[in-house]
Amino acid sequence: MKNINLLAMLSLLAILWSCGDDDDAKPAEFGTFQVYFDNKVGADDITRRDNGSTEYDFETSTGEKFNLSLLGYYVSKITLEGPNGEYFQDEMKASASEAKGYYHVLEGESASQNIKLEQVPAGTYNKITFAIGVEEDGVLEGAAGGVLDPADGAWFWNWNAGYIGFALEGTAENSGQEYVDWGGGRETLENTFAIHIGGWKDVADNENFINNIKTITLDFGTTVKVGPDLSPLAHLVTDAMKVLDGAAIDFSNTFSVHAPKAGKPFAEQLPQVFSVHHVHQSTSGHD
Amino acid sequence: MISKTKKYLVYGWVLFLFWSCSDDDAASPKDIYAFEKPAHFPDATYTFENNPITKEGFELGKKLFFDPILSRDKSVSCNNCHQQSRAFADSPLHPTSIGVDNRVGIRNAPPLANLAFMQEFFWDGGVTHLDFVPINAIESDVEMDETLVNVVKKLNEHDEYPLLFEKAFGVKEITSPFMLHAISQFTAMMVSAGSRYDKYVLEGTALSNEEMAGMKLFEKKCATCHSGELFSDFSYRNNGLNDSFGDLGRGRITEDEADHGKFRVPSLRNAELTAPYMHNARFLTLEEVLDHYDGGMVDSPTLDPLFKDGDQVVGISLTTEEKTSIIAFIKTLTDRDFIAEPKFRNND
Ligand code: HEC
Ligand code: HEC
Repeated sequence: MKNINLLAMLSLLAILWSCGDDDDAKPAEFGTFQVYFDNKVGADDITRRDNGSTEYDFETSTGEKFNLSLLGYYVSKITLEGPNGEYFQDEMKASASEAKGYYHVLEGESASQNIKLEQVPAGTYNKITFAIGVEEDGVLEGAAGGVLDPADGAWFWNWNAGYIGFALEGTAENSGQEYVDWGGGRETLENTFAIHIGGWKDVADNENFINNIKTITLDFGTTVKVGPDLSPLAHLVTDAMKVLDGAAIDFSNTFSVHAPKAGKPFAEQLPQVFSVHHVHQSTSGHD
Repeated sequence: MISKTKKYLVYGWVLFLFWSCSDDDAASPKDIYAFEKPAHFPDATYTFENNPITKEGFELGKKLFFDPILSRDKSVSCNNCHQQSRAFADSPLHPTSIGVDNRVGIRNAPPLANLAFMQEFFWDGGVTHLDFVPINAIESDVEMDETLVNVVKKLNEHDEYPLLFEKAFGVKEITSPFMLHAISQFTAMMVSAGSRYDKYVLEGTALSNEEMAGMKLFEKKCATCHSGELFSDFSYRNNGLNDSFGDLGRGRITEDEADHGKFRVPSLRNAELTAPYMHNARFLTLEEVLDHYDGGMVDSPTLDPLFKDGDQVVGISLTTEEKTSIIAFIKTLTDRDFIAEPKFRNND
């Protein structure tokens, strides 16, 4: 009973405090901010080819010819910052019904490439920060819905439970991949490649684990304003060539990357992969 | 947003106050769907705040656990490999598990008990949340050989499940996270803390002299690894079963040679019921296990240093009498209430 009284007192205190909090909140102004992820290979746009297609659209700096059938990544924990202390942090919540703050960007699905941030405090902004992948705090929430639902397109690793942060698949002229029939209609075609960058564990007493999640901060090089009538857009470029060239890929022996250690050399490139193409200030009504 | 949540919390507390006071007076029957941490256990690790246990959710999870609809050809349910009479371990007839088309797995199905207190699952610890465990069972080609996508489709087309999910979670459409939450509600509730050992710890009920002698020996020789009230420190170790590793165990997850051949230290609760033993089902009896510790270990670069003295493999030396009393002690960890608990029984 003593405990319960204590709880009651605490509750009352909490009520008072919480009400006071509400009254104090001054009416703030908000706007939206749009982030567009434009996927490229070098300077070129991407045409997704069928698996096994021998139309090689691209060539690495070491002369490896390849095409892409899939390119995508998770973007999460977006924050915006401004020169006068402006700060916006996208709300994060992984639950069975939704995955707020997690975005699964997929080349060729334009809705996924356009991220609209709502309720951004009015002000001036010149910097964006985001993570590529789903960090520990998200994974450890347990089963989640939305873009984290493994039965609805989420990129989930079963055996080493967690999400793939960045993936590239396609066909390369020199790929060492041989044809594999997995049975039940599943097969892997000759000369294809799949590079899946995953691994999120960062256990203090186990340095063996590889955390391949990278946090990217990009400066706009200028400022944009957010307000009730001001909805700017940041056009970012994701250059897949930098992932392959930076890791000096040799498709003859690197064509099937499905574990954190093998993904590490590619993950190390991610900070160079993203850049700001331009930002533009536009008024409301922009979509 | 934050202050809104705060308010709900407060309302919650106030409601709880009223409810809790009236509860005190009425001495109402125990809620069998409430998760209760046994007094001597560590704190639960399961994320109950994301998935609070309800009667509807638990019963739905139970139905799924016993339903072969989760497998490709509707031939295998979770219960095929996890049977209540064996503390939800597999039958000794299946030393390593048997899935659809009688495909043979590589590991022994462990018992399911006290899962809400564990941080990592499987012999290699590859799965880091209880919710994600069934995905492996469903999609493994040596277990249920089905896809999660298809299971969700089958459930949505079923004539009972959509209504049951709506009742449990208020959803119109079944999605995988709700299915996984339902199964976790059932498995997280599998708490085994009603053994004679527990009654000794909690209520001081006496154990026999032999069992007490076994406990002393166990504390000295085994509890370095099989420690605490769950009888495991949940580390990954090599206890000398093999000198080469077809199954890399923990090494598969950490991708580190120093972890090749290491497996999770298993809890020994209900061990009397969970034969055969070890990840590869090497031993049929507890006697064989103790003979292994006493003189059967093989050396390898990752053999636990506790079992070595310099270059010499020493294992754990035990007299025949000591072995008998350790086994008598292990048998005090058998929880007859757990294997007879009606709420875990299939009612279809
Ligand atoms: C074909 C047999 C089989 C079926 C069917 C099966 N399991 Fe298992 N289960 C296993 C095996 C084998 C392991 C150990 C796997 C490992 O360590 O790699 C296991 C491990 C587990 C664990 C982890 C226990 C621990 O201590 O780490 C849980 C929980 C579990 N299973 C629950 C389920 C559920 C829920 C289902 C139904 C969706 C299910 N299993 C279906 C064989 C099976
Ligand atoms: C250095 C750590 C360590 C010590 C000390 C140790 N064990 Fe173990 N024990 C393990 C590991 C690791 C496993 C699982 C090995 C595997 O499956 O590859 C295990 C497995 C077992 C199992 C099989 C359980 C099952 O469900 O399959 C039993 C029984 C057991 N130990 C009993 C004992 C007893 C009794 C002692 C003391 C005489 C003891 N252990 C000492 C690490 C240890």
